[in-house]
Order: sequence, then structure tokens, then C-alpha cells
Amino acid sequence: MNRHTPSLRALRVASPTPSPGATPAARRSRFRGVPGKVRPFVLPLLLLALFEWYARRAAALGSDALAPPSAAAKAFVGAAMDGSLWLATGFTLGTAALGLLLGAVLGIALGLVLGLSRRAAQLGSVSIEVLRPVPSVALIPLAMLGFGFGVRMELAIVAFATFWPLLVLVQSAVQQVEPRLLEVSRVLGLSARERAFKIVLPAIVPRLFVALRLGVAVALVVAVTVEIAANPNGMGYAMMIAQQSFDPALMLAWLGWIGIVGFAVNAGMLVLQRAVSRRMGAPS
Amino acid sequence: MIAAPAPVTARAALSASAFRSPTVPTMQATPFLCFDGVTIRLGGREILSPTSFDVARGEFVCIVGPSGCGKTTLLRAASGLVSASAGEVRRNGAKMTEPSREVAFVFQDYGRALLPWRTVEGNVSLALEAAGVPAAERAPRIADVLAKVGLAKHAHKFPVQLSGGMQQRAQIARCLAQKPDLMMMDEPFGALDALTRQSLQDELARLVRDDGLTVLFVTHDLEEAIYLGDRVIALQANPGPGRPSLARMIDVKIPRPRDQLTTKEHPEYLHLRRELFAFIEQGHE
Repeated sequence: MNRHTPSLRALRVASPTPSPGATPAARRSRFRGVPGKVRPFVLPLLLLALFEWYARRAAALGSDALAPPSAAAKAFVGAAMDGSLWLATGFTLGTAALGLLLGAVLGIALGLVLGLSRRAAQLGSVSIEVLRPVPSVALIPLAMLGFGFGVRMELAIVAFATFWPLLVLVQSAVQQVEPRLLEVSRVLGLSARERAFKIVLPAIVPRLFVALRLGVAVALVVAVTVEIAANPNGMGYAMMIAQQSFDPALMLAWLGWIGIVGFAVNAGMLVLQRAVSRRMGAPS
Repeated sequence: MIAAPAPVTARAALSASAFRSPTVPTMQATPFLCFDGVTIRLGGREILSPTSFDVARGEFVCIVGPSGCGKTTLLRAASGLVSASAGEVRRNGAKMTEPSREVAFVFQDYGRALLPWRTVEGNVSLALEAAGVPAAERAPRIADVLAKVGLAKHAHKFPVQLSGGMQQRAQIARCLAQKPDLMMMDEPFGALDALTRQSLQDELARLVRDDGLTVLFVTHDLEEAIYLGDRVIALQANPGPGRPSLARMIDVKIPRPRDQLTTKEHPEYLHLRRELFAFIEQGHE
């Protein structure tokens, strides 16, 4: 083997290496100098820089509406240090999660029933089509009357808002379960309960995750909206306070933070989805 | 070679020996499985015209016929997956109205009949869970049926990690775990390559003999039907008003155990093969 190595090396040296920029592909890659992993962050950083420059100029002209990102970052650190950041974040995330849990459990349960039984679907169709389009935020006055200010009102509205997409998506997912699997469950003599938990529920897991990720987004949006409009708690309220006390830096800090939290939650859901589908035998 | 149907005289002589008229009832007190004028209409179309025949316990009955003749529908009726529009299927004298755990069903599309999120072991376990077998007793029974079908080493694999033949073995293992006394098989080997099909045919024959199973086996492969069956039932498509779907019934009197080489050179095998081919050809004219 060793005897052949020198000749191989000689061969490699002898083979003509293409000069840089000789082929169109190589020429293009020179303009793409940024490594692939960094590329997605180029645009946000550019936008931030542009914003920084613009906001500083606006501040110099005497505007109270805008603060440069550097000031927002400073305000963010302040909020993180005094603990108000974590308190508000915890409140909003906790309420959104609980509300989603409530809405999702009910939505999945009813979606299973409506998906499995055509009679139930017919029975519920009109009620669902009438109630579903009601904007969840329009329920704030009603929920305020029923639950007062605070967690319970926000929970109820988040649950209402997440219930419908979960219901509709689970129902359609159940209707698309491989019919052969349902036949297998009949031939094996599975009970209705076993059929729901051992066949239907696992079969819809991929679609369920799509529904849940939508539900998470809806829950966050609605939670923050309710806090801005009515509930004196959480990130939405903190942002309102910052705005009302003419603190654009803190307001922007909250805005940016809410975006980051939303991004992180979605990323967490993706990780969870991948872990679950790997455990369920999906080819990785 | 055998495209032309045999002359009428030869056919008459042969049918006296090999063909049994479908109208003559089998002499038995209570047949194990009895099709009594089973007729199935779906969406205004008659899929299966009145069909009557009996199956004895431990018998291996193959059902052949052109596509659209109602083979699969017959099997589904026999397992209670569809109900007869007229007539009835009786098992041990009792009318079949819905699926029973004593009747297993092997579907042709193993890829869709297995739960993709469960391992081979988990898929077999489903049958035991359905039957209410306590968790502690499941593992040995699963190991037992997996050993029977030669999947012992693949217990922890997911269906996507298996070849078609192994997936079908897994489905058969799940059916065996039910401890059925009647097994319906709907073209189980139709989608497999020739070599895999042959080895599965032999393994099935062995399993059926060991467990004393009664099998109804639908296939479009006439040679497979003769090789596996104690009896071959030929159905015809669109028999015409008032006429039964059941066209021919042939007893296969080839000794067991059968063998891919010697059985297929057996004079009786060749003779039945010629007869059956001639009959099916006739139906296609």
C-alpha cells in the first residue's frame, strides 16, 4: 500500500487545479464570500444599523417617538437587572401556555369526536361556523364582565382563540387518517377509546404539531393584545406603560424582546416536533 | 401454448374428475364457514352475485378470478368488514355481522396496514392489547410469533426500516398473535418479488399446518392458488342476471408438504394448472 502512495501523490500534484474564477460557479462563489450559517443574520444586522443611524438623526432633530437600538439595549439591560423583564415575560408566557393548554385540550378532544363521527360533525357544523369567525379580541368586554381584570380573563380569551384552529385542524387531520389503519383497528377489535389513543392520535401527530405551532403563535399574539388592551400585567402592559411614560427606548426594548421570545418559543416547538417524530420512527 | 380452450369433450371428461359443481352442497352437519347466497351491492352495482360454498375447518381455500370479480369483497364479507346485501356468512353456524378477533385479516398493502410509529414488536403488541392480554404476558407471546415468521432479530425496527417481504411477515405475525382460527389473506404476496414470494408461500404453508388454521386466500396468481390451496375457487366477473359469481371449484389433491420444485413438476399440478388457465382464458374472451 505504501508503495503506491508516492505515485498517487505525484498524480494529484500533476492534475491541473482550476485557477480561481475560471469557471462560472467559482466566479459566483467569490461574491458569496459569506459562510452559509451567517448569511441569515446579515439582513437583520444591516437593518439594525440603518435603524440606529436613522433614529439617532431623528433624536437629533428632537423626536420623542424613536430611540436608537443602542438605547433600547440599554433599557433592556435595565429591565433585566431590576427583574421586571422576567416577571412580565413569565406572566405572559405562563398565561399564554395555560390558555393554549386549555384551548388545545378542548379543541383536540372535540376535533377527534367531530373527525371520527360524521353525525357529530353535522350536528356541530353550524355552531362552529358561526362562532369561529368571532375575533377573539372582541371577547375582551365580555370576559372582563365575567372574570374581571387579571389572569382569568386573559386565560379565557387565549383559550377561546386557540380552541378553533386546533378544533378545525384536528378534525381535518382525523378525517385524513389512513383508512386501512382504521380497518386494522376494527379487525383487531380495538375499543373506541383504544382506537382514538392508539391509532388516530398517533397518526395525526405530524398535523397536530402544525396545529400546535399555529396555536402557540395565536396564543402569544392574543395574550400580548389582551395585556395591551385590558389586563394590567405582562409584556403587553409593560410596553404600554413605557409608551405612556414617553420612554421609547424601553418600549422598543419590549418590542424586540417580544419578537425574540416568539422566535424562541417557535424554535423550541420545532425541536420538540423533531424529537417526537424521531421517537415515532420517522426516518431521521 | 395453452391459449386455446380445450375441446369440449376433453373438458367434460376432466370436469368429472377435477371440477366439483358449485351447486352441490358439501356433506357436513354445521360447516365451519358457510357462504349462503352472499350478495353484495355497493352504490347500485352488484359486486358479488349470489355465492354459496362451505369451508371445512383446517382447509386452505384459494380464491382466483379476473379483477373486478369480487374476490376481495368476498373476503371482506367473510371477515365482517362489509355486510352482505342479501344472504349471509355463517361461522360455526352463527351469522357474521362484524369483525371478530378469531378472524384475522392480512391486507395486501402491508405498508399501509402497519402502524408506522410502532416497531415490529409494537405492531404485534397491538393485537394483544386489543385482546386485553396483560402487559406481563405480551413479551413472550410477541417473541414467539416473531420467531415463527423469522423476524426475531428485527423486533425493534420500524416498518420503514424493513423490506416489503419483512413488512408482510410483520403483518402476518400480528395476525398470528390474535390466535385466530380463520385467516383471511387478500393477495398478501402480490406486491413481492418472485423469490420472496416463494419463501413466504412455503413459510405460510408450514405455519398454517402447525397452527391448524383455516385460510381464505385471494390471489390473482393461478399457480400460487394451486400450490397453496386444498381447494381453488374461481369467480367470474359480471356473471349476468341471476347467475352466481362462483364459476368453478377445484379440489387440489397434491400431497403435502409441498415443495417449490417437485410439486410444480407433479402431474396433478400441471394438469390443474392447464385446466385453470384454460378456464380463465375462456372468461377473458
